[in-house]
Amino acid sequence: MTITLRKALAVLAAGASIGALAGAAHAEGQLNLLTWEGYADASFVAPFEAASGCKVTATYVGSNDDFVPKLVAGGGVYDLISPSIDTAPVTVAAGYIDPIDTSKIQGLEGLYELFRSSPGLTTDGQLWGVPWTWGSIPFMYRTDMITEEPTSIAALWDPKYAGKVSLWDDKSAIYVAARLNGDTNIYALDDAQLEAAKQKLIEQKPLIRKYWGTAGELVNLFASGEVWISNTWGGYQSAELTDQGIPVKEFIPAENAEGWMDSWQIVKGTPNTDCAYAWLNYSLTPEAQCGVSAITGYSVANEASAKACMTPERFAALHQDDANYINSLILWQTPDRLEVYTNTWNAVKAAQ
Amino acid sequence: MRLATRRRFTAAGILGGPLAWTLVFMFVPYAIMFTYSFYTRQFPTMVPDFQFGNYLALFADPQYYQVLLRTIKIAVLVTIAAVALAYPLAYFLVFKVASARLRTALYVAVIVPLWVSYLLRAYTWKTILGSEGVLNSFLVWTGILDQPTDLFLYNQFAMVLTLTYIFVPFCVMPIYASLEKIPASLKEASKDLGVGPFRTFLAVTLPLSVPGILAGATFTFSLTMGDFVAPFLVGGADGALIATVVQSQFGTALNWPLGSALSMVMLFIVLTIITLSDRLERAGRLDLG
Repeated sequence: MTITLRKALAVLAAGASIGALAGAAHAEGQLNLLTWEGYADASFVAPFEAASGCKVTATYVGSNDDFVPKLVAGGGVYDLISPSIDTAPVTVAAGYIDPIDTSKIQGLEGLYELFRSSPGLTTDGQLWGVPWTWGSIPFMYRTDMITEEPTSIAALWDPKYAGKVSLWDDKSAIYVAARLNGDTNIYALDDAQLEAAKQKLIEQKPLIRKYWGTAGELVNLFASGEVWISNTWGGYQSAELTDQGIPVKEFIPAENAEGWMDSWQIVKGTPNTDCAYAWLNYSLTPEAQCGVSAITGYSVANEASAKACMTPERFAALHQDDANYINSLILWQTPDRLEVYTNTWNAVKAAQ
Repeated sequence: MRLATRRRFTAAGILGGPLAWTLVFMFVPYAIMFTYSFYTRQFPTMVPDFQFGNYLALFADPQYYQVLLRTIKIAVLVTIAAVALAYPLAYFLVFKVASARLRTALYVAVIVPLWVSYLLRAYTWKTILGSEGVLNSFLVWTGILDQPTDLFLYNQFAMVLTLTYIFVPFCVMPIYASLEKIPASLKEASKDLGVGPFRTFLAVTLPLSVPGILAGATFTFSLTMGDFVAPFLVGGADGALIATVVQSQFGTALNWPLGSALSMVMLFIVLTIITLSDRLERAGRLDLG
């Protein structure tokens, strides 16, 4: 009881101090982010607001497939978005993104060359996003409930765990099922392979407790004992659960895990260009890079900043010493037939 | 100004507001949606067109009619459960509670939950039905269960329960109103003719309260048909309802024309139900003279 009360007071105090900061900042401009949970945490956003005078408001997405629909529906609402590398080319192709004016950004050279020159971000010699973070989509299980360490995706199809399995409500569910089927070309599946993945996922449905839509939802499902095993945003949810005293462990299965890299993109026609560039500059600093890494547990895109602000142990643990690690994962790409993938995943959810 | 002219202006003023409102916020959006349903999807949006492909897709691809049938099933179950719960409650309030003050207090108690956020009330069921929730803890504590069961939450049962709870007040209100209007003399006459209380209920009270039942059932059915909060919060892997699919067509799937066509089909079903219930109610009235 005392702990709860103390926690409540701490939250109140934190709220009050953020309020005070926001009040103190001379609100010169505003910045609306459409982004992932953890990417607009007060721990590193508040100092930015104080220094720049830009008031940051964040709206969160639960899937990469949420970015374009939000831009289609709500023109002029968002200034910056942070899609993953498979979606960044899609937002550009759809015409919703302005290229980055590299002359307005300092510190781009600190980024891993691998990310800065990523084909998904550069076309016609122009840069369409500023790399921010990267990581993997491993699997996570409750070590107190599942005693034998899972080594394969097949664990999520094991009737032993009926009613305790979850999967991200995202087209990536197809990537998971396809790998279990032995199809490694997960971004270029043909009709037969997609159908097989679909059947595999339908076969799994009786074991599924719930598909999760946000990071917070998966944390709640694990914490309340509803779910014992699922895919996860590597580093993020497991850290939150560990903080709550829930014993969980991540693993990369024999079928390998997907890799991802997120970048900040400027929404075409934003009136808040100054604040947007202020944020992009800030995003590369050690303060922001280590700030977001501390909250999310993700690896970061700026090698120079990571070196400056991380302990050597953490630098190594997050594979910052070898960004090529990402190539050992199956780095997300836009599926050749995105629409068919989305439709297949919807059909799985609609099936009996 | 002549009186007639002035009257006409007043009438236009009184009717004009609501009419304009209905036009702008009802007919225009529906007309737009109807138009979209014939468009062709073209990434990232759509192009104007006139074709029936979207409607055909709804019947050709099993995912849509499967979800539609599931939604109708859930809506029927919720309607039956809500009426079954609301009727005895309304009956008790009207005929068994002697004090008018107590009756009003109890009636308000039924209505009060409507003022609490729907989302909050649906969320509460999660904490009750969960594996480590109130219900499971109680059943394990009393020894009825050895270990918590998964059967309460994240399935269709949880959706029906939550929606029934949400919509019971919508059923109580019209049934209460129709029961309250039944003149006491009718029941007395029945009693004088030597008919027992049960048959009096079947022959007098129930038929006269049919309009209330129909109104409550129509409310519940239509609102359940369009619900997407329950599947999101307490539904499981088999919990997708038609509104969930519409939402995803306007969202991740980015297929507005198909979403519009689906909305039109839903609108058609709901309007059919409302028309039918209206007809039934009128027919009932005529029978009773």
